[in-house]
Amino acid sequence: MRKLPAIIRYEFKLMAANKAFVILTILGPFLILAITVLPGLLSMNPKALSGGEPIAIAVSTDAPGGTAAMYAAFETAMSSQGRGVEPLPLDDEAIADAKRRVGSGKLAALVVLPAGWAESGATLYTKTGTDAVLYGTVERVVDALARESRIARSGVDPDVARDLARGVGLSIVKMSAGDREEEGGEGAFLQTLFTAMSFVMLVYMTTLLYGQMIGRSVVTEKTSKTVEIMLSSVSPRELMFGKILGLGLAGLLQYGVWVSLALVLSKLLMPLLGMAAPSAIAPGNLAWLVVFFVLAFFLYASLYAALGAAAEDEQHLGQLAWPVLAFLIVPLVMISSFVSNPDSPLSVGLSLFPMTSPIVMLIRVLIATPPAWQLATCLGLLVVSVYGAAAAAARIFRVGILMGGKRASFGEMVKWLRVR
Amino acid sequence: MLSVDKVVKTYETVRAVDGLSFEARPGEIFGLIGPNGAGKSTTIRMIMNVIAPDEGTIRFDGKAFSEAMKERIGYLPEERGLNRKVKVIDTLVYLGVLKGLDPADARRRAESWLERFELSDWKGEKVEALSKGMAQKVQFIGSVAHDPDLVLFDEPFSGLDPVSQDTLLDAVLELKAKGKTILFSTHVMEQAERLCDRILLVRKGRELVSGPLAGLKSSYGTNSVQIEYDGDGSFIAGLPCVDGVRTMPRWIEASLADGHGSDELFSALSGRVRVRRFQLMEPSLHAMFVSLVESSGDAGTGVADEEAANA
Repeated sequence: MRKLPAIIRYEFKLMAANKAFVILTILGPFLILAITVLPGLLSMNPKALSGGEPIAIAVSTDAPGGTAAMYAAFETAMSSQGRGVEPLPLDDEAIADAKRRVGSGKLAALVVLPAGWAESGATLYTKTGTDAVLYGTVERVVDALARESRIARSGVDPDVARDLARGVGLSIVKMSAGDREEEGGEGAFLQTLFTAMSFVMLVYMTTLLYGQMIGRSVVTEKTSKTVEIMLSSVSPRELMFGKILGLGLAGLLQYGVWVSLALVLSKLLMPLLGMAAPSAIAPGNLAWLVVFFVLAFFLYASLYAALGAAAEDEQHLGQLAWPVLAFLIVPLVMISSFVSNPDSPLSVGLSLFPMTSPIVMLIRVLIATPPAWQLATCLGLLVVSVYGAAAAAARIFRVGILMGGKRASFGEMVKWLRVR
Repeated sequence: MLSVDKVVKTYETVRAVDGLSFEARPGEIFGLIGPNGAGKSTTIRMIMNVIAPDEGTIRFDGKAFSEAMKERIGYLPEERGLNRKVKVIDTLVYLGVLKGLDPADARRRAESWLERFELSDWKGEKVEALSKGMAQKVQFIGSVAHDPDLVLFDEPFSGLDPVSQDTLLDAVLELKAKGKTILFSTHVMEQAERLCDRILLVRKGRELVSGPLAGLKSSYGTNSVQIEYDGDGSFIAGLPCVDGVRTMPRWIEASLADGHGSDELFSALSGRVRVRRFQLMEPSLHAMFVSLVESSGDAGTGVADEEAANA
């Protein structure tokens, strides 16, 4: 392994001089920033999220406390979504016109409260039927108003009635293994989900990118026979490890740039915008991001290298890579299930299984510190798999280059592992 | 000295190399000759320790091969391949460093070789800017710049123009003069004939024949004579000293009957036709190969097609 440093340096330089690499390194932080800051920005500017179309309200004049009080209640509730409230008279013509405007998207919704609505019910007209936040708000307001009207009718002292209906208030506190308490809140799920998603996307994209790059590089060397010259100087294992480490180093450099920029931006820029940095972008979590990227990278780089060695050309590589790709995609699809239930058997299982563990364990770490034995098992299994995969890649590589012009199957690749 | 002893390599069901033995000595060019698929490349890969033989041994100067010994080997593969995006000089320095040179030394050697091949102006260019011939010279430099004791050339001249061929040929002969062991693998028999001191003819992983080229030719050859003449030469085929005649556009090729000398034929010609050229032909390697394959009772040499493809 004496020449390993030279190979690493060469592959690193080759990668770092690549235009796509440079562009991605520079643009990466802005991507992270966009993903992590966007939810914050959106909550400051609700119109951007909701679209801000007003809702129209047609109320019968027999409303308790008068129509003005009802409009005021709707206005207060809607302001958090950046929506205005348009009062409508309760006549057929105005309602028909409002329905048309809902249909054409000029109104977000039309709420009709006919005479006796507090007992018989109200109707909401909408175009999409999917804006749960809007419907929830309207429902809350209508329920509250109905409650008020029933209280008034029953003759119970309004103060007593309100006291009976008052909620307890549930505050959410995150407990970690070290008895450390962290304030959570209603926003914690969304914020953690967004951060987890951006971290996971980052690991996924870079792993895939570098994996495919290594795969392609091996196929190209194989088809151009450069590899034979290399193997007349170094062992297949040195070459394979050198390639993987060289590219891994380039990837680490990229992550280094990203992480430090993310830290600087969240320390300097976010306070300027009047926002608190998402707690998930703590240095500790960024360190885990790097750790899991490195392990995911090495594992998938080795697998792709092995596939590259067995592939006949880039197209064939794409076909062979499918099963590998599936393992990368599975955790991506199930991300919200991992965020909701980080300690479910499924989450724990996939966070230990090496091909999915870097992404799943990263999510779990972001949400709640997993038991130490699980972290240790996950890391241990990953390191062992990485070494095994790289060694297997070197063997497949060695035999694969000799089998030019042959489309190897997975069965054949397994056979190649046994060739001396 | 490179000693290959009863080496066998089997891929799944195919015996790629089936008991080959040979020795390549310092200061001589040894030809590993045979059609594509004869097992030459597999043999070379085993010599370079890329794959291990199933049976048999390969030794260099009496020692079994190891990774460390790769520094004493130079290899020019049949299909040229250099990373197209890398500068010529960086490529050569990298190849040198992989052979154990320190970077400064590798650079110095690469520069002096580039100068010799009149490629100095190109050292800062990327490989993709080079013509095929230039790239091949660069690759040649990569295989010899670290001053290896054993050089393996796989089809070094294929696709080169005559001037470039001569430049490389000179360099190869210089290596030979310096006492390097040179293994030359080719399926182009004419090239082997020009270069090799000793040869091993391989077919389907097995040895057809081996030995010094000159000795092989005299023992395996059928003696034939090429004659260019003016006049009516139809009588030649009927001469007792002539076994058969092949008529070419500008000359005829007469094979001598056993026990008859070329002087006998020459005197039979005098006075009857005007001889412009009378040349005693050694049997070509090609002809030897064909006759060996025929005498082994196995049809289809594979050589004719190969050479047609390379013409």
